[in-house]
Amino acid sequence: MQPYELSLAAAAQEIRERRLSPVELVDSVLNRIEQVEPHVAAYVAVSADQARRTAREAEREAAQGSYRGPLHGIPVGLKDVIDVGGVSTTASSRTRAGHRAASDSAVAANLRAAGAILIGKTHTHEFAYGLTTPQTNNAWNRGRVAGGSSGGSAVAVASGAATFALGTDTGGSIRVPATLNGVVGLKPTYGLVPRHGVTSLSWSLDHVGPITRTVDDTALVLAAIAGHDPRDPASVAVPGVDYRPRPDPDLTGVRVGVPRNYYFEHVDAEVAAAVRRAIAQLEALGARLIEIDIPMTRYIQATQWGLMVPEATAYHERTLRTVPELYQADVRILLEAGELMGAGDYLRAQRARTLMRDEWARLLAEVDVIAAPAVPMAAVPSGQETVTWPDGTVESVSDAYVRLSSPANITGVPALSVPVGQDAAGMPIGMQLLGRPFAERTLLLVGHAYERTQSARSLAPLT
Amino acid sequence: MSSAELTPPEAARWAARAGLSLPDDRHSVVAATASHIHSVVAVLRELDFGDTPPAGAFRAEQEKRDAAV
Repeated sequence: MQPYELSLAAAAQEIRERRLSPVELVDSVLNRIEQVEPHVAAYVAVSADQARRTAREAEREAAQGSYRGPLHGIPVGLKDVIDVGGVSTTASSRTRAGHRAASDSAVAANLRAAGAILIGKTHTHEFAYGLTTPQTNNAWNRGRVAGGSSGGSAVAVASGAATFALGTDTGGSIRVPATLNGVVGLKPTYGLVPRHGVTSLSWSLDHVGPITRTVDDTALVLAAIAGHDPRDPASVAVPGVDYRPRPDPDLTGVRVGVPRNYYFEHVDAEVAAAVRRAIAQLEALGARLIEIDIPMTRYIQATQWGLMVPEATAYHERTLRTVPELYQADVRILLEAGELMGAGDYLRAQRARTLMRDEWARLLAEVDVIAAPAVPMAAVPSGQETVTWPDGTVESVSDAYVRLSSPANITGVPALSVPVGQDAAGMPIGMQLLGRPFAERTLLLVGHAYERTQSARSLAPLT
Repeated sequence: MSSAELTPPEAARWAARAGLSLPDDRHSVVAATASHIHSVVAVLRELDFGDTPPAGAFRAEQEKRDAAV
């Protein structure tokens, strides 16, 4: 096994026990990037020289017995909406030409302090406003969409071009690409991971979180990036927690809610079957399955749009007036149309969110987690714009990919996507686990317990 | 066209009122997209919000409304 193939936890153990040096790991990942980038185009920029320099420092520290923790010497890719001091944050947009971040974002600083090594900035759907990331190809089939908007991060992790990555999630932008590329994605509770220094799409829906190859790895990254930061007005001070799940995959006593409505409607049959098999596996591990009804489903898309559209337009107000032609067509039209939404619509969405959060709190008093599909269908061929469901309903691909993700953005509850198989075309399928606010530990416990019943996942078969 | 749908000149005028001058070739596409967005968010008018406040500065964790102080 090559170092680039190691999970974060496995690489950390090798480094800790001095069987692997950070220099070897970084070199291995950089070589892998050279190998796969022509096929997947996950990166906006790779900082090879800087990464090698930092790896040598990490190696020196390790040789002196100074070990910063499990991220010491581990290569990370950051979605290119996350500031790194002195480096351009392009947001994969021509409007950001010449940009240079003055300082590290909160999460970049946290990762640096934890010893992680920034290997590059990964592609996003322009300004995170979209679900496909058209610059990047799916790690499992380059003719399929990467998913978005954190497409570059998910593809890099899935193809061995980063040991882990960070993404952002406003309507599924971590969970969608993670699922479509067969890796793990966590949208943490709103307020748990600080967003200072992260380009906003929609302030009241944006989250930053990890994309990794295992649930255990997600726990290690979350511990490094979670924490209060007063520079993010949504940031919440919560006590430090050991997120790492216990190795024993026993779920006795865990109540798993299985939605009767919404999450299994207009879902590809292969996706539904794979997720139901995974839920049966949770039951076999001791969990108690409880059928539940998702509240206020008629108002989910309206609330998501009512919040996101005007907030995104507000963020881009200046550049939409000065350089509108530099935006991609799909993003420009949404920003322009957002100018026409009134305050009444926005306030109704904010009030609907209050109602929805309260309803979800009631629901989550009855179960410990909700298990459901992460997205309705696996990665579609690039360029496909709509999906037609068996009842004749036609839905845009973007709407379909957002549909099962946005409830967690609106309510702020944590949501973890975990691979649970592949469809007949070999494309990955994911299960989503949702929980109470700040109950990431429970999600990670359940996700890890499931993962332990499966054979270890391999990297995407891309050469 | 329903009464809720914007005409291209209306879209241009509304955008101008918001401070965004749209080139002529953008009026139709912006009108169509804005009308679609309107049709999605308009369902929120069905809800009876009563005294419900907006979640402008919200916390994911529900406040303990009956907590002793």
